[in-house]
Amino acid sequence: MFVLDDLLFRPFVGIVDALHTIALDELYDVDALEDELKENQLLYEIGDRSEEEYRERKAELEEKLDVAREVHERLASGRVEVKR
Amino acid sequence: MSATNRYVYGVIGGGTIEFETDAVGGADRVYTVSHRRLGAVVSDIDTTDPEETDEDAQRHDDVLREVMDREEGEAVVPMQFGMAFESDRTLKNVLRGARPAFRRAMNDVEGRIELGVKAVRDEDDRVDRDAVEADAEEILEPVAEQSVPNDLFSDRLVLNRSYLVERDEREAFDDAVARLEDERDDLTIRYTGPFAPYSFVDVKIGAQ
Repeated sequence: MFVLDDLLFRPFVGIVDALHTIALDELYDVDALEDELKENQLLYEIGDRSEEEYRERKAELEEKLDVAREVHERLASGRVEVKR
Repeated sequence: MSATNRYVYGVIGGGTIEFETDAVGGADRVYTVSHRRLGAVVSDIDTTDPEETDEDAQRHDDVLREVMDREEGEAVVPMQFGMAFESDRTLKNVLRGARPAFRRAMNDVEGRIELGVKAVRDEDDRVDRDAVEADAEEILEPVAEQSVPNDLFSDRLVLNRSYLVERDEREAFDDAVARLEDERDDLTIRYTGPFAPYSFVDVKIGAQ
């Protein structure tokens, strides 16, 4: 069977690592957060979002973005070990 | 603070410029470092790797806009945020090396401005993006020299383009945008600019 054959050739740890990386990428998606920041700005500019809503959302997104960038930086540097 | 590095906003052809303003990295004066009729518009900074904060990104744009106003039709080749050089000498070396590229870019943007048009759909509407593009093409393109599409960063954004427009055609372009607005009253049009023509120059210089 194709799937089984395929899996047998890969070390199990490799698959878990790959899945974990995908999960981290989705959870800390820098591009998506940057897009949301731009959207927030745009909706405020066209009057679709109040100043208060805009500021709250902006602060929230910037905080998430800081965390996401930090996570990616640490992952790239190899200083983070993924616990299972 | 010893600010001996130079932060670059853009390059102008010949002449010098100097004015006081809120500049990137806390500087308060903008001036030119020239090499053979190319002038880099700079301010002093204490790093060659400036961090892009919202405030400094805004200051970068504001400085370029002021330079464009002061130069009245003279070509300004804008740089993206973040170009900083060790010293006047390294900067002049870059001006020397990239001289043909700057000259070409200057010819492309001389007497022209960049304007931005975005169209946003209502939250519950369904809108055909291709149809909006077609309307924009029919109404706006004839008045513009060139246009480039930008990122559709939100699913409510159905059009996001930058247009390079002759300074003298500005009013005609304003009218065209108003016509697009009439034609597509189901959308909210966001019309911005004028900007230095970032989207239409492609001069990349190695920093530092």
